[in-house]
Amino acid sequence: MRPSATTTGRVPAGRARPRRTARLEPLLWLGPALLLIGGIVLWPVVEMVLTSLREISRTGVPRGWAGADNFSALLDHPELVPVIGRTIVWVAGIVAVTVALSLGLAQLLHARFPGRRLVRWALIVPWAASLVMTAIVWRWMLSYFYGITNRVLTDLGVIDSPRDWLGDPTIALLWMMWVGVFVSLPFTTYVLLAGLQTVPDEVHEAARVDGASRWRTYWSVVFPLLKPALLVATVINVINVFNSFPIIWAMTRGGPGNATDTTTTFMYKLAFVDQSVGQSAAMAVVNFLMVVVMVLLYLRAVRWKEIG
Amino acid sequence: MNPSWRSRSRPLRAAALGLGAALALSACGDADDGDTITFIAAEYSSDTEPYWQELIADFEEANPGMSVDLQVVNWDDIDQHVTTLVQNRQQPDVLNLNKFAGFAADGLLRPAEDVVSAEVRDDFLPGFADNSVYEGTQYGLPFIASTRLFFYNTDLFDEAGLDGPPRTWDEVADYAEQISELGAVGYGLPLGPEEAQAEFQMWINGNGGHWTDSDGNWAINSEENVETLEFLAGMVDDGLTQPNPATTNRADMFNAFAQGDVGMLNGAVFLPGVIEDQNPDLNYDIAPIPGNEGHEPSTLGVQDYLMAFDNPGNEEAVNAFLDFVYDTDNYTEFLSTERFLPATDSASEAMTSDAELAPFIEALPEARFFPTTRPEWTEVDGAVKQEIGTAVQDAEPREVLDRLQQRASGE
Repeated sequence: MRPSATTTGRVPAGRARPRRTARLEPLLWLGPALLLIGGIVLWPVVEMVLTSLREISRTGVPRGWAGADNFSALLDHPELVPVIGRTIVWVAGIVAVTVALSLGLAQLLHARFPGRRLVRWALIVPWAASLVMTAIVWRWMLSYFYGITNRVLTDLGVIDSPRDWLGDPTIALLWMMWVGVFVSLPFTTYVLLAGLQTVPDEVHEAARVDGASRWRTYWSVVFPLLKPALLVATVINVINVFNSFPIIWAMTRGGPGNATDTTTTFMYKLAFVDQSVGQSAAMAVVNFLMVVVMVLLYLRAVRWKEIG
Repeated sequence: MNPSWRSRSRPLRAAALGLGAALALSACGDADDGDTITFIAAEYSSDTEPYWQELIADFEEANPGMSVDLQVVNWDDIDQHVTTLVQNRQQPDVLNLNKFAGFAADGLLRPAEDVVSAEVRDDFLPGFADNSVYEGTQYGLPFIASTRLFFYNTDLFDEAGLDGPPRTWDEVADYAEQISELGAVGYGLPLGPEEAQAEFQMWINGNGGHWTDSDGNWAINSEENVETLEFLAGMVDDGLTQPNPATTNRADMFNAFAQGDVGMLNGAVFLPGVIEDQNPDLNYDIAPIPGNEGHEPSTLGVQDYLMAFDNPGNEEAVNAFLDFVYDTDNYTEFLSTERFLPATDSASEAMTSDAELAPFIEALPEARFFPTTRPEWTEVDGAVKQEIGTAVQDAEPREVLDRLQQRASGE
């Protein structure tokens, strides 16, 4: 009661008030969003970091602080280095192939031809379909006992006896990367298509007038103008592929052993197969830092685009 | 790769959070009255949930004022589900799982004598009750049992000119070679993550090995076990099994056997049901699991548990519910629905007439169990499921076993 009495008593303070509430007004609008961000993004991050510093029993009972024990156990894990190496191959491979194929697809969809609308829609299908479903369908197609891949390839004479495609780590990883490319193509193609559509016709005309060949026009004129779209597509893909869990989980569960794990599935297995929640949280922190770095790169890329 | 994964998962996460909050609130409510208990059951088959729903309806009718919140969770997710609940201090009141010692070691369980009547306790078969003890106190309630036996496809045996089941490992390898010449898989070896620990134990037991030595110390890397894995790796190398045991799950192998693609494998009580479903014309026979030269055949016994968590105020409802579950009529109905073996005297008597289960019940006295009375088993089990298969393919058997031993003994 008292503060309000004093404020109403003083004229200047009373005049200052509406200005202060006005300054607070945006908070009212931002509040729900901030609360959501705090609850859904920040709180889990804090919780994750705290968990990584705790000792947690096999059944999940917290046993007190562990300091850096979880991190040193993680660093000593014999599979950590191979898993990180594989993650790099996984991300770089999928993103490179996806972007290369998408450049071609975007060019195709940019051209005018009968049925273009239909093809554009068809391309969305792998994007619209549930990832787990896509991955499971691929797993069945590659199955040793019943898979259609073995049937088709033996009938064509490419292989003479059925192969267990997902049993050999190297081949399994290649197949999973292919599925990764398959589901990434639609988004990437559409981003690049949008990029292509921003290239003004005048530029094409000018190149034609100068007598540039089609290749020359593409590499010297169109491609440089595509750079911003390309950058955005690449960075978003890198983040998504890095975080990708369902493809690997549905197709090989990271096995045999840890031979097809990336850091994301490895983190999951540390918690729920090895029953080591603390170590898994430490892996999560490492993953989180890597994602943060990628996000920062993305933000820089976007700003670069604005300036450019 | 596909930004919709992220945007899609956000609302989902929000929903999950909301749901979690709602669950937390309802859990608080339960703690107050104590007459509503939560029960998490493992999903053995599609019949599991209807069975429990019906049983709970009967229970609630017989005990006005008490109610049971049922959650049936599939085997793939149940460990993760329970660990998460325990971590958030929302453990259920009653749990059905294949391990108990970890929870007992963390002081989360109530001893058996406080949760079921003396009548029910005396009814447990002694072997199962012994296998439910942690540091001198029984915490686990033996719930179901299952044994494994050797299955062989008699059509393939006839075609290969083989007579009767193999009795030793050498015969298994020899027969597998003759069957694989027909284009089928000689011996089906599922060392994929689903049940690798079971397949591995059946083989090490057949060579006189086990997870622990006679003094009860972990002995995963014993000479017997190394020899066993080397023998299996040899079979894989010689092409006597399917090509990639490390990634083949039991379910895939059982299906392939039912389709007539596999000569021999170690099968479970429910394999005849799978065959009945998929290919009733298959001709097969059942035999004891062969051991290495000079070793008796042995079998793997699997025992699952019920257990009561020590949540304040839930005693009365938990005890009433568990006694109701073990009522002979209710219990035998569950066993015959799911095709499992009884863990109590009264149910054994009631089920002796079941011809299909008879060979499995007979094998029970010789059965050896997983070391579920040890809290480390939770972790060893997970590691074995992931790693043991690699030892018959690329990795060195001894190194894999050394690593597992290290995990188990914590050195």
